[in-house]
Parts: sequence; C-alpha cells; structure tokens
Amino acid sequence: MSAGIVLDGVSKRFGTLDVVDRTDLAVGPGSFVSVVGPSGCGKSTLLRMVAGLEPVSSGSVTIDGAPPAAARSAKRIAVVPQQPGLVPWRSVDGNARLLLDVNPGATPAAHPDPAALLEEVGLADFAERLPHELSGGMQQRVALVRAVALGAPVMLMDEPFASLDEITRTEMRALLARLLALHPATVLLVTHSIPEAVALSDRVLVVGPRPARITADVTIDLARPRPADVEDDPAFVAHCGELRRRLHEAMGR
Amino acid sequence: MTWLRRPAHVVAPVVGIALFLLAWEAVVRIGDVRPFVMRAPSQILAYLGRAPGDFLAASWTTAWHAVVGFLVAAALAVPIGAGLAASPWLERASQPVLVLIQVTPFAAYISSVVLWLGYGAPPVLFIATLVCLPPFVIATVAGMRGADPATRELLASVDASPWEVLWRLRLPAAMPSLFTAARYSIGLALIVAYLVEGSNFADEGLGAIGRRAAANNAADPLWATIFCTALLGTLGLLGIAALERVALRWHVSQRRLLP
Repeated sequence: MSAGIVLDGVSKRFGTLDVVDRTDLAVGPGSFVSVVGPSGCGKSTLLRMVAGLEPVSSGSVTIDGAPPAAARSAKRIAVVPQQPGLVPWRSVDGNARLLLDVNPGATPAAHPDPAALLEEVGLADFAERLPHELSGGMQQRVALVRAVALGAPVMLMDEPFASLDEITRTEMRALLARLLALHPATVLLVTHSIPEAVALSDRVLVVGPRPARITADVTIDLARPRPADVEDDPAFVAHCGELRRRLHEAMGR
Repeated sequence: MTWLRRPAHVVAPVVGIALFLLAWEAVVRIGDVRPFVMRAPSQILAYLGRAPGDFLAASWTTAWHAVVGFLVAAALAVPIGAGLAASPWLERASQPVLVLIQVTPFAAYISSVVLWLGYGAPPVLFIATLVCLPPFVIATVAGMRGADPATRELLASVDASPWEVLWRLRLPAAMPSLFTAARYSIGLALIVAYLVEGSNFADEGLGAIGRRAAANNAADPLWATIFCTALLGTLGLLGIAALERVALRWHVSQRRLLP
C-alpha cells in the first residue's frame, strides 16, 4: 500500500497506435507534479488513465493503494477538465456543488464549503448568476472551486488554464496555489506551459512526442509560498531554461 | 411590467394580426368570394356569436384530445429516447420504425383505427400520441447525445450512477430540443384531433362539426371550426412559449442580445 499516485509500467495503445509507452511514475502524497509535453503527445491520455476514465492497455495505476475505479466511487479524485464543463442551467453556486450532489453517499462529511470557496476566489457576488453571465476566467474559477469543494485527496488537472489569456492564466496560478495551501491535495497537472509547471510544482516531468514516455524528472526547489513575482526569480528562470532544453532533447530523440 | 417598457413586443404582433384579418376581410368582400370557399372574419365572428356555447364545448373537446395525445407522447418519448440515447444499437434498430410512423399519412389509416378501437376518444388519442411520438423521441435522443462531454467525464470521475447522469445532465440538456419538438407537435396533435373527430362517429369536437358542415356545404359552421382550431393552436403555442421562458431561462434561445 503506497500513498499518492503510482503508475507501474502503464501503456496505452489505440489499435496499432502507441500513445503511452511503459510509464512508471510515483507522485508522493501532498506533492504537486506536472507533466509537460507537446500537444498530442499522450499526456492527456495518461491523466485519463490515472482517473480510470480510460482503461490501461497494460501496467497498473493505484491511487492511495487502490485502483482508480475504487478511488472514483469513494470520490477520492477531483478532476479539473480543460473546458470548465459547467452545466448551463445551474447557478454558479449550484455548479460549485454539482460533484457534491451526485453519488452523495460517498461525499465526505467534512468537505470545504463551496460558498466559502466562491468567496475565496472572488465570486461570492456571482453565486446566483448563470454560467453564461461569466467570463472564461470566472468559469474556470468555478471549475476549480467545484473540484476543491470535493475535499478529495487527489486532484487531476488537464490543461485547466490552456484556453485562458496570459494575464488571467497567471492570476489562476496564484489562485490555485492559494486554494491548495488551504486545502492540500496530491496534484497531477498536465500542461504545455513550462512557466505554469515551474510556478506550481514540486516536480516537473518532461514527456516527448507520442508515444508518451517520461524523459526527464526535474525537482523544483523554490520555497513556498511562492510570491507573485516568482517568475522574475533567477532560480525560476533557470528551471524554465533547463526544462526547455530537456523538452528540446525529448522532441529530437 | 416588461410589456409596458417594450410596447413593440406586444404592439407589433397585434398590428400584424389586425392587418392580416383586414386583408382577409377585404379579399372576401371586394373579391366577392363564394361563401363556401371563404368566409370573412366578421361573418365568422357573427356566426360564432349565435351559438358560442356549442363551439366552446367542441373546442374544449378538441383541445382535450390534442393535449392528452401530445402529453402522453411526450411522457412516453422521454424514457424511450433515454433508452435509445444510451444504446446506439437500439437507436439504429428503432430509427426505421420512427421514420415509418412519420412518413405514413395518418389520414389513410384513421378508419382502420376507428374500427379497431371503437367510437369516441380512444382512436383520436391513439393516433395523436402515435403521430407526436417520433418528433419527441428524436428530440430526446439528439438532446441527450448533445450533453457536454466535459461534464459527462466529470460526473464519471465521481462515479455518478446512470440515473444521476440522466437526471442531472442528460434530461436538462435535452430540454431545448424537447421544446422545439413540442412547438411542432402541438400543431400536429390538433390536426389529428380535428381529422379523427370527423371520422369517429362520436359527433363531438370541432372536427365532427367541420365534417358535417363540409358534407352539407354549410360554410358558416365549417369556417367557425377552422377559426376555433387556429385559435386553439395559437393558445397552445403561447402556452409552450411561456413555459419555455421559465424552463429555459439559462438557454441561448431565451437571451435578448440587444436591450
């Protein structure tokens, strides 16, 4: 029984197409690990296999020692998708509670209060609004709140800020770090933004073009909490430079 | 009151209808149209005024037939559509049957159904339900299939039951297309009610009056039933539109883009 997320020789084939190739990975409990790679490299498939939303072709995934299906039915996984996936007929508050309302038997007795989280992300005044009245960044904040409100020990994020503009994206990074400081979780984030990965992570994994295989594992030793101007820190810049090099190596293999 | 601030929303349609009725009146009077071909609105209203009770009772019967057939079809179509949306195989198997129901003119088999189900309401309700069923089923399947895939994955990530996915996601996602089907079906249900009432030997409803009037070359009662049926259809559509404004408050179709 090992805590956190453990992948052991995980592969995925779609027909004759190798998408993920014998990947081993251990994300320790409470740590934040990012996977950086080019578009279409199979990193999203990797994440979906961790959630058990995509069956593995071979190998195994465990979440706190249990298979993904068990973790899902116990609501121990909180997913933040690339698109906010808000339901248009529920208010902001209703959307924040959506995952608490389904499969209610598995909702933990003590989970973060969605109303307080909305307050925390600056959406308290919008609680009764409908999603279409919100900007893209605000919608993605609701998606974050919806995930954090579950109180799940594991959080899986699939390029959650990819469709946002650069300014909003930087804001969202800080917001996510603040939420995680309040409600710690083991996080696996898939992204194609190196600065985003460095700003948020304890470790960044580099994945080359398809089939996905981890080619570098870089520890980010920036102290937490990381200030808003962390991106100007020479250590931050050095990490980004190293990851860019590693990514180029991976692409050229 | 919204309509006080937005007179155009009320005034424009009223002006449109008034102009249409005036033109109709003018064509009949100036064109000297033969009575059986067309009666003027003023003549129809005058005739209706002579026996309003009869036409009210007949309208009530026809409305009841149409609405019950329409509602039974909707109530059957949602579970059927949910089943078909869940199984592509079932959907493919049932598609030809639905198309068959849709393309076969119901007027052709009215007599057979009356022979089978007997006098009165049963054949009217049966055919109304049958005819309204395909549009509702197709709308349910399309609407449920169109539910946001990101939300579907999200619900799967917390192991939502199929029932929860249906109730929390697929059914609300199907509401816009169900309302579109409702607008289409309410007119169909009225047509069915009118025509079958003329053939079910019950002598009840607008269809029965219309059928008798047509057989006797009686223009006044015939045009009175046409007028009442049109009025019923309009009321039905207004009712659906009102429901839609409330139920689909969240949907694009209900948003005003300009103030």
